Amino acid sequence: MFLLVDMDAFFASVEQTQHPHLRGRQVIVCGDPGRRGVVTAASYEARPFGVKAGMPLQEARRLCPQAHYVEGNPEKYVALSLQLLDLYSGFTPDVEPFSVDEAFLGLQGSRDSYQQATEVAHAIQCAIDERFQLGATIGVGPNKLIAKMASGVKKPRGITVLDVAGFQRHFWPLDVRELWGVGPQLASRMRSLGIQTVGELAHAPAEPLRAAFGNIGPQLREAAHGHDDTPLVPYHRGVEAKSMGHEVTLSADCDDAVHLEGTLLRLSDQVARRLRTEAYWGRTVCLKLRDARFVTRLRQTTLRQATADHPLIYESALQLLRALWDGGPVRLIGVSMSNLARTHREEQAELFTAHDRQGRLREALDRVRDRLGESSLVPAGTLAHRSRVGHVPFGAISNRVTARPGAGSDQALRPRDGSKTPPQKRRPPWPKS
Amino acid sequence: MFESLNEPVDVLTAFLDGRVRPLRFRWKGRVIRVRRVTGEWNRREGVNRLTYFSVEGSGAESYELCYDPRGPRWTLCKAWSG
Repeated sequence: MFLLVDMDAFFASVEQTQHPHLRGRQVIVCGDPGRRGVVTAASYEARPFGVKAGMPLQEARRLCPQAHYVEGNPEKYVALSLQLLDLYSGFTPDVEPFSVDEAFLGLQGSRDSYQQATEVAHAIQCAIDERFQLGATIGVGPNKLIAKMASGVKKPRGITVLDVAGFQRHFWPLDVRELWGVGPQLASRMRSLGIQTVGELAHAPAEPLRAAFGNIGPQLREAAHGHDDTPLVPYHRGVEAKSMGHEVTLSADCDDAVHLEGTLLRLSDQVARRLRTEAYWGRTVCLKLRDARFVTRLRQTTLRQATADHPLIYESALQLLRALWDGGPVRLIGVSMSNLARTHREEQAELFTAHDRQGRLREALDRVRDRLGESSLVPAGTLAHRSRVGHVPFGAISNRVTARPGAGSDQALRPRDGSKTPPQKRRPPWPKS
Repeated sequence: MFESLNEPVDVLTAFLDGRVRPLRFRWKGRVIRVRRVTGEWNRREGVNRLTYFSVEGSGAESYELCYDPRGPRWTLCKAWSG
């Protein structure tokens, strides 16, 4: 038997629990509320106003101006998430974290019945409430798919138990988009084939589905029947990362090539550093760009050799930027690495130290960062654009290149010879595609 | 009201069973009693590990305190009042 524990409005509820004046109020968790970005989480009090996760902050402010906008703190939520996993482990050793606020639990032996599983679900809800003063919704089912979908039936603080027949009764009349794994685009394509509901997908012939959607077609048909044999992977066994990436929503839409390149360098450095810290190498570099109209574009390239080296990642990401960017305003930029392979630290160190001077330098720099923190050393190329946007964590460095004391952030970019040429908005040096 | 402060503060601290607990702290000439610790998490800065506490004062106000074992020293990071 499987349980899916889903914390109710997790980030917003944590803030409400920790700050008495937020309890019972509309709370919207986001990045820096003074800047733009998107809603990370909305409390149940804010949801009737139409606010939901992923919505631009500007729109949330229009819908719910009276809400409390709180800057999220990922470290705090991850710490709590780990404490929750620890709590679940008191009920069963089979715990698989699914996201920061969701986890699958497996029950075996004498507790592998719907009644026993429901009792465990109640006990978990009570324990979470007692220890953390937080609400959780729990879905119970014979497999992970049904447990996950059952958890969405009744929120907040709900417990929904479904067997395969119950799953079919509840979900077959619903829109095909309700099936776990069917996104808006897939749903739209299914509708074009005359498949409107989960039940219609369950009864669609397998071959046309395969022809239209590939292998995923028959798999989704099985899912529509409530069939799923995905095993639970307990978190103490560890799960290999499939990709690692960083992205940032810029403080203002940006068509400045220098700023974008500096940001890209910083992101490439963060990704490379994370790969090295977790002993991975990656081969596929992916660039993500979102423009001012919220159109997101991705482009990727595969390197001949795996790397965890930021200049190589940056070089590839820059080529992708040149191919993908039309020179228009960019809202969000991101870099990720996939096609990952494990490397032993010794092997990595040996390769670096034995074969190249750059590698030895990188290892020395990593040691400095390990000891003094991530911001103790950064690639110099990431600093110029930071001083321009005015949030410079390295004030002393910024002051050294400032033409005169008290100069504004743009003036910090003036040449040191004192010439008065203001910084020009830089267009991409390559032709627009 | 929310204030981002990052001010050094004096904190009466309990060190129990290898754990750190803020009990009272002095801010703006007042001694604030920590009624409840509502959250605790860590952040690494190189080899150093900072511990953050979300705490409730005696009224509806809440605070975020940071304990830095180098020193050791405390910082009042943020304050919220109702």
